Amino acid sequence: MTMQRFEGLSRRLLRAGIAPHHVKRLVVEIEAHFADLVAELRSAGLSQAESESQAAVRLGTEEVLTANILAHPELRSWARQRPWLAFVVLPLVALAVQFVLSMLAAVGVIVFSTHVLGITSLYPGPVPWVVAGLQAYGVWIAPVAAAGAACLIAARSGAPITWPVAGCTLVALLGAATNASFEWSPAGPQGVLSGGIGLHVPELGLASSLRTILTILTVLVPVLWLRRRRKELASLP
Amino acid sequence: MAQNASLMSGVPELLVLRLLSAQEMYGYELARAVRESTRQAISLGEGVLYPALHAMETRGFVKARRRTVSGRTRVYYAITPRGNRRLGELSGEWRRIAGGVRALLEGT
Repeated sequence: MTMQRFEGLSRRLLRAGIAPHHVKRLVVEIEAHFADLVAELRSAGLSQAESESQAAVRLGTEEVLTANILAHPELRSWARQRPWLAFVVLPLVALAVQFVLSMLAAVGVIVFSTHVLGITSLYPGPVPWVVAGLQAYGVWIAPVAAAGAACLIAARSGAPITWPVAGCTLVALLGAATNASFEWSPAGPQGVLSGGIGLHVPELGLASSLRTILTILTVLVPVLWLRRRRKELASLP
Repeated sequence: MAQNASLMSGVPELLVLRLLSAQEMYGYELARAVRESTRQAISLGEGVLYPALHAMETRGFVKARRRTVSGRTRVYYAITPRGNRRLGELSGEWRRIAGGVRALLEGT
């Protein structure tokens, strides 16, 4: 048994959804156990090759070790134990939280600019740009970040692709339903910022569909391509 | 010696917790201690031991810590108060079963 064999075991366990911290420690322990068995057999008079061979038999093959570990579902990562939470609920909550925070940050910028710095709509300086950047984050980047995080967790935990696809689609749909606008004119010197999440009938057309598709493509296309590439590499002899 | 799987169910957990109640140990040490303290009657599958220990840890019966001894990293396990309660339950259950079997055998 060699280090390569344990690396193979590590990859198998990660792909099967065992939590990375368990995998890391299990491999360290099995490696140490193997070394102890070899030392025990060597001291009994066996050659190095015979000792390694018998130690491998006592520990079990990679398939047997994997099966023994998979028999304990509690060792799976939290994302594999509760995929609906990791890939659907949390990304949707993350999107809503990011949107609200970006709107609050925009309000903070406007309040600070007008009340503390005394900036007005006649000489707005960079304020409209900063607010526009925060709005763009909430409306465009937040859905991609939330869906991307779900896909990243899926890739790390080896989850079936169905869950991140479902989560990404829901996040993209909800993301396309967000809206934000900022108006600042001499008529309204404090500025008017509005934002929300909702299905507005006039926006249920082409623009919303394009936003949904854009989010899905931005996140899922690279993920699906990477999964395919990884499978191809794994199938190489 | 072949061991009946259903008869042995729960025994590895009992043995591991009993041994860890005396002192903390690492996996290889535990596997040897089980063989020696049961006079070779029971031998835990060495590949089975670690997932069982990790599962016991997730249930709060044991806790693990890494220690470097003679330049080698070892993961030592120690029993927790919850593990001690579990040991009490398993020991009681095992004594009850063993007593029943003994009574039956002595009666024949």
